[in-house]
Amino acid sequence: MKNGTIITIDNLVKRFPIGGGHFTALEDINLKIETGEFTGLVGPSGSGKTTMLNIIGSLDNPSEGDVIVMDTSMRGISAKRASTLRKQHLGFIFQTYNLMQVYTVYENVEFPLLLLKMTSSGRKKAVLNALEWVGLTDKIKSKPKQLSGGESQRVAIARAMVKRPQMVLADEPTANLDAENSHHILRTMEKLNKELNTTFLFATHDDKVIKYMRRIIRLEDGKVVADNLVKN
Amino acid sequence: MLAVKLAIKNLFGAGLRTFLNVFILSVAYVVIIMQNGIIQGWNKQARHDTIEWEYGQGQYRYETYDPYDPFTYEDAHGTIPDKLLPSFEKGNIAAVLVSQATIYPEGRLKTIMLKGINAAQKVVALPTNKLVAENDEIPAIIGSRMAVDIDVNIGDFVLVRWRDANGMFDAVEVKITGVFRTNVPAIDAGQIWIPLKTMQSMIGTEKEATLIIVKDETDRELDLEGWDFWDHSELLADMDKMIKGKSIGNAVMYLILLALAMLAIFDTQVLSIFRRQKEIGTFIAMGMTRRQVIGVFTIEGTMHAIMALVIGALWGIPLLLKLKQVGFKMPEGVDQMGLPISETIIPAYSVALVLGTIILVTITTAIVSYMPARKIAKMNPNDAIRGKIQ
Repeated sequence: MKNGTIITIDNLVKRFPIGGGHFTALEDINLKIETGEFTGLVGPSGSGKTTMLNIIGSLDNPSEGDVIVMDTSMRGISAKRASTLRKQHLGFIFQTYNLMQVYTVYENVEFPLLLLKMTSSGRKKAVLNALEWVGLTDKIKSKPKQLSGGESQRVAIARAMVKRPQMVLADEPTANLDAENSHHILRTMEKLNKELNTTFLFATHDDKVIKYMRRIIRLEDGKVVADNLVKN
Repeated sequence: MLAVKLAIKNLFGAGLRTFLNVFILSVAYVVIIMQNGIIQGWNKQARHDTIEWEYGQGQYRYETYDPYDPFTYEDAHGTIPDKLLPSFEKGNIAAVLVSQATIYPEGRLKTIMLKGINAAQKVVALPTNKLVAENDEIPAIIGSRMAVDIDVNIGDFVLVRWRDANGMFDAVEVKITGVFRTNVPAIDAGQIWIPLKTMQSMIGTEKEATLIIVKDETDRELDLEGWDFWDHSELLADMDKMIKGKSIGNAVMYLILLALAMLAIFDTQVLSIFRRQKEIGTFIAMGMTRRQVIGVFTIEGTMHAIMALVIGALWGIPLLLKLKQVGFKMPEGVDQMGLPISETIIPAYSVALVLGTIILVTITTAIVSYMPARKIAKMNPNDAIRGKIQ
């Protein structure tokens, strides 16, 4: 899938049960995202950006409408199909890095490849490449607790990118980082996006992140209120 | 394989918590094997001693004889069958005549069992060679429990009063010529052994016996009129039941120990699943199915049992081997309880015992590890990723 639509969102509605009623987190969303985009879902807390990211990442299901990711409908997707999609084609980057504390940097990055049952030599090559992209080849044997916040997030990026996924979903990736580290992280992701044509979709309300986006989809109260391409 | 690798990483990563759980579980392994080894050792020793001292290779009992009913003793005797006489002459049969009698230790009346046995017998371990009369005195042997009970030693005389076959009372003094020490109280407490011939003439039952203990295979299970053959399975049935009862009692003890170890592992699993919810969410986001994640946590819990096996082997094997070498000393006075227990029990560890214990502990650990891990199936991965599950 070199070019073309990677995500199609049709009349998406997401409701969560609350007490006796329900809360509508996303309402009537219609979007298309093309391969290779560097796009931000932007909006204040509670606007629905993380919920949308989770549905796109097959971690949640739509209440109404449909989301099609790489020709796979998220509506009623089986757990097995969803896990295969995530394992083979999606990478995740989280606000709190979510690195496994008992593993070294190398082992953390290697983990997605173990799930893909890649050979030992193939894994080694891919892990070293990924760590080179993020500039952490000297930290291979370090444990997450020995790393700074910026370094931890770079490990998370390497872990998300090591299997060369078609799309990376990043939820507030710079929320716990200072300005310098935020820029470093974003420049890294921008470079990977350009070099590998990987689609990046961010959920963020951080201005430092927003200014790197080439497309900004603004959400408010679960609705798309603006969708703009940015010319850098 | 991935699950095992992950489990090992996480277990070593958990450090002291893992070590404590593993150590408690290793104690459960060793104690279960040790306790059952002692029971098996006791079983082995009790069977061996009882066969050696009391039952030989089986017994013919006169048909009306009931060892638990003293009122049957008076009439429970018959002529030693001709078919057994050749073995009797060679000492390959021990013929025993049983009667009730009364003795008067320190002026008090005490009812005993008077037993006559052929001195030349080579069937049971009783020291019947000390029943050979050197003069007119009647030689007698007693067990050490009986000697303590009536306060007599070798060389002492004991007055014995009995009733003969015609119902007439008579009395005679017997001389203690031997005191034997045995682990089998059934041939010791409350009994005096004298030569068979002497007893036959005292009772007036020439050539008769109450029970006949055999040594050779060829003398077993013959069709002898008036006599019933009892093999080991019948003779040892009561003892087997008693040892089985003891095993059940011990099982309660080691189940409590196992339950404590399992509680620790259960708690660790619950805590681990709660603390590592971000990791669980991340596993799912990276493409693991919930079932795979449950598998990882179940294997991780079960690995405690495998590690405990290694740790238990490190300190348990030397301990159990040493115990097998020196034996397990029984408390003072246990031989007065009527049980066939030696002063020191040598434990017996069978392959079935060791494998059975390993399988029991591993399966129990796997179940206990799986139970809290099932909670993962109900987790919302989005909340788990952000550590929001309370």
